[in-house]
Formats: sequence, C-alpha cells, structure tokens
Amino acid sequence: MKQIVNQTRVATVHTLFLVCFCIALMIVDHRFNHLEVVRSNISLVLSPLRYLVSFPAMAGNWVSEWFTAHTDLLEDNSKLRSDVRLLNARLQKMKVLQEENTRLRNLLGSSRKLADQVVVAELLSVDQNPYRQLIEINRGSADGVFIGNAVIDDFGIMGQVIHTNLHSATTILISDPDHATPVQFIRSGVRSVAFGNGNTDQLEIPYLPATADIQIGDELVTSGLGGRFPADYPVATVSSIHEDLTLGFVSVVAVPKARLDSSREVLVIKPRL
Amino acid sequence: MVNIRFLAVYLSLVVGLVLMILPLPDWVQAYRPNWVALILVYWSMALPKKVGLWFALVAGLLVDTLHGTLLGQHALALVVIIYINLNLYQRIRVLSLAQQSFYVFSLLFINQVLVTWVEGIMGRPTTLEGFFGAPVIGMLIWPWAFVILRDIRRKAMLG
Repeated sequence: MKQIVNQTRVATVHTLFLVCFCIALMIVDHRFNHLEVVRSNISLVLSPLRYLVSFPAMAGNWVSEWFTAHTDLLEDNSKLRSDVRLLNARLQKMKVLQEENTRLRNLLGSSRKLADQVVVAELLSVDQNPYRQLIEINRGSADGVFIGNAVIDDFGIMGQVIHTNLHSATTILISDPDHATPVQFIRSGVRSVAFGNGNTDQLEIPYLPATADIQIGDELVTSGLGGRFPADYPVATVSSIHEDLTLGFVSVVAVPKARLDSSREVLVIKPRL
Repeated sequence: MVNIRFLAVYLSLVVGLVLMILPLPDWVQAYRPNWVALILVYWSMALPKKVGLWFALVAGLLVDTLHGTLLGQHALALVVIIYINLNLYQRIRVLSLAQQSFYVFSLLFINQVLVTWVEGIMGRPTTLEGFFGAPVIGMLIWPWAFVILRDIRRKAMLG
C-alpha cells in the first residue's frame, strides 16, 4: 500500500512538471520563433505519414488517368490545343503590353518589377484542425521556398508560406482567422485589409469609411503593401456590404477568387530581389 | 524499451496518428475521435509501468505538429488525462466495457476542454458540435478499440 501511495506522489510531481513544461512550450511557440526548427524537424520525421495519407487520392488519380478512354483523351487533347492557341495569342499581346509597361515605368523612374519567379507545387495534405486553415505543399527549402512566399492557384491568391521543411512547406490560407491580406479595390483604388474568418468562401473587410466607393461585384487585388504579397494579384470579389450607420463604418464580405478548398496544383511566388 | 514486442505499442500509436490526419468530408471533420488519446489510454491502462506520462508528452507533440496547433497544446491535454488514468486504472480495469466507455468519455472530454481552452485563449473560433461530438464518438468506439488492442497485446505477449 505504501508503495502505491509513493508512486502516485511521484506521478503527481512528474505531471506538474510536464504541465508547466507544456505551458512554457506553448507560450514560447506563440510569442517567438525559436521553436521553428523543432517543428520542422518533427515534421520531417512525420512526413512519411502525410504521404501515406495522401496516397489513396494520388493512387485514385493515377488509376483514373490510366483508364481514361481513348476518345476522352483525344477530346481533352484537342481542347487543350485550342486553349494553348488562345493563350499564346493573348500572351503575344501581353508581351507587347509588358514591354510597353516597363518602358513607361522606366520613363517614370519607378523601380517596380513585373515578372515574378514561380515554383510549381502540389497539395500534400490539408490540416485537419477545424480551427485552422493550413495546407501542406510538396516543395520546401530545398526547392527555394521560403517563409513569407505567396502561394497562388490559377484563379488568385491562396495564402503564404509559414513553415518550411526540406521537401514540404506549410501554407496559411487567406481565409484563416489569423491571416490578413493587404488589398486594394480595383475600381475605386480604396486600400484596406481583408481578414479571414475560418470559412473558405468568405473574407471580411471591416471598418471601411461609410463614404468609401464600393459596390457589390467590385474586384479586390493585392495592394503590395506589407511586403509579403506581390501587388496586383486577384484576391476576391465583393459579395455583400453591411452598413452600420451608428458607427459610421461599412464592413464588406468578399468571396475569394482562388479555389481555397479544391485546388490541388499551386504556384509559389518568389519575390525578385 | 528495445524489446521487439514493444513495437506493437509504437505501431498502434502510428496508426492512431494516421487516423488523426486521414482526410474526411468537412461535416464529419468535427466529429473525428481523438484516436491517439484512445490508444494511449488503453496502453497506459494495460502497461501502466511502461506507457506513461512521457509517452503522452511525445505523442501530444507529434499530434501538435500534424495539426499545426501550438507545440504543447495536445501534449498538455494528453499528459493530464494519462495522469488521471494512471491514478484510476486499477479501479477501472475491473469494470465492464460499457462502464469503461463512460470513464473514457470523461477523459476524452477533459482532453477536449483543455485543447479548446487554449484555442479560446488565443482568440480562435471554436465549434460546439465537435466539442461534445468528438468525445461521444470516442466513447462509442472504445469497446471495439479495447478488444482490438487487447488482441494485439496478447499476440505480442505483452504484460
């Protein structure tokens, strides 16, 4: 009996010690960046699990690709061909415009660069924590992806890289409650900040002046302020405007352009130095 | 610890970690039971001398990394419930599976409260259905988890 009592006491002291340790760890993790290395090392050890989990989806894709009917492939092929032709035509025009733009910018003495370098990445997994909106991509520091790089899909801004490992990186989506994106309304030029609220189909832009020129359907692009996101990438479309006359503010809800919950291929943009 | 039979414990925990990040449709997401907690509770009940607080700490840190939560968030919750379990396991082991389920529910619920509490302190939104739903699903799974893990333990001739 005595021995049992003794054991519990030891376990209690032990537990209190570990609880304090965990609390200290959480505070350090929340306030500072020192634990980044620890996290990325644990993540590296656990990366086989992530691959294992995403394997059924990858295998499914592969099998369905393998068994796609010949006619479907032909159809796809011709569609892609015509798409390429169309895009090429647009690109020619784009090239001319780009050159003209650089020339004009040079004339104005502006230093802003147009083209950005990109890395193509694939979605590895989506973090299952319902309170966060994080995705894991299959490119890491070995591929030149760094913390703070913007991530886009073919429709608009998705988010930015917050942790990097050797061969994978964690990306926070613009719809995460902890994320804010500096934006600008294309039509009126009003600048603001768009906050995520945990829904993949909503961004909130609170505290706009009641006199701001905003309409439903207005397009939002990144403003390039804050230094994280390059300027002029599409972010969202205004879907509703809520006026609170007592406060004199207007808050706006916008629908993200990027398909935050369904894109599998993404681009990581590396800012040009 | 280098005992080859002990591999069964590690492997079952790895399976638990995989189940924690297995993609699920959005509406089921909140009801995902805490597999790692279930498996740890079983092993600490069966092998209290070997599977204890340190296991809980390490498993918790792994879950934190996988879920992208604060390092220590799940670890804290798991350490607390394993501590409770280490003090009560002798009384719980003799109960029937159905009665054990309620005990496991309360452990999972404490775990959930602690994890959600930290989320709340950081000002993150939390959902109510997962708050109660996940421990209830965990409770319903306990009898099956118990039987499967007991068979594994007997096959591995542990304890």
